[in-house]
Amino acid sequence: MVIVRRVVRAIGWTSIVAGLLILGFVVQQLFVTTWLSQQQQEALTEQAEEHFATVEIDEVEYVPPSTTGTVSVGTEEGTNGSISEGATGTTTERGEPLTPKKRTLLVESTPDKGTAFAIIRIPTIERLQDGWTVVEGVRLRDLKNGAGHMPNTPLPGQPGNAVISGHRTTHGAPFHEFEELNPGDIIEVDTALGTHTYEVRETIIVRPTEMWVTEPRDGAWLTLTTCHPKFSARQRLIVFAEMVDGPNWETIYA
Amino acid sequence: MKRWFLSLPGPMAVKIVIAAVIVIVALVALFYFYDWIGTNLLDTGGTIG
Repeated sequence: MVIVRRVVRAIGWTSIVAGLLILGFVVQQLFVTTWLSQQQQEALTEQAEEHFATVEIDEVEYVPPSTTGTVSVGTEEGTNGSISEGATGTTTERGEPLTPKKRTLLVESTPDKGTAFAIIRIPTIERLQDGWTVVEGVRLRDLKNGAGHMPNTPLPGQPGNAVISGHRTTHGAPFHEFEELNPGDIIEVDTALGTHTYEVRETIIVRPTEMWVTEPRDGAWLTLTTCHPKFSARQRLIVFAEMVDGPNWETIYA
Repeated sequence: MKRWFLSLPGPMAVKIVIAAVIVIVALVALFYFYDWIGTNLLDTGGTIG
């Protein structure tokens, strides 16, 4: 009888401790990380505004991919542009040499890793109506503070495919309601150049290793990536959005 | 718990300090452990590759 009582007591205490540890995990992940991210967001928003005011903006020549073999922008040291591939043709239909119209693209210098340089806003998603700061880089410590811009992809507002990742359920969960996004929804990204407006074209679910979603695209695209399903890192929810307005829109799409 | 506390070395004031340090270190370690589990299993931040 005494042994049974001891076993029951041990099971009881073990259950209580296990329950407290699990409760602590849930509280830490859902509330503590979010609280810490929100504190960081306030500081990062100030940092982004300071970045807007101080970053160097250059004008570079942009030749649309449809008129030449290779296009490169942002060739000056320290600028972030993109290279578009797959261009065809250097003559008109009549066989006359094509002289591309000179277009000027605004580019900003690439921010240092961990630096806040943009603010993303999605009017149809409540928690992103006021904006969430984007930092350069997708290291774990970058993403704990804000959404992260994937290095080696163009900055938002530039031609190509700008990729931004963000948490779905922890650390403020900026991309929590992404399954509610529909084609036609608007995404705005503020950078030092101004506000770039994108329109959602498609949302898909892929494996975390499917790098093709980050590959360059013709035009100017914004690709947002987050974990899927909620509370799991098994898959990725991808939102593809195309630029429909902004300081570089006319240059890229004219 | 009471037995563990009383087994700590030194007078009562020292016992309290040692216990407080142990509890704080344990909580910090638990915090980082939770963080590690969370970022590896629950939500990696949605990165690709």
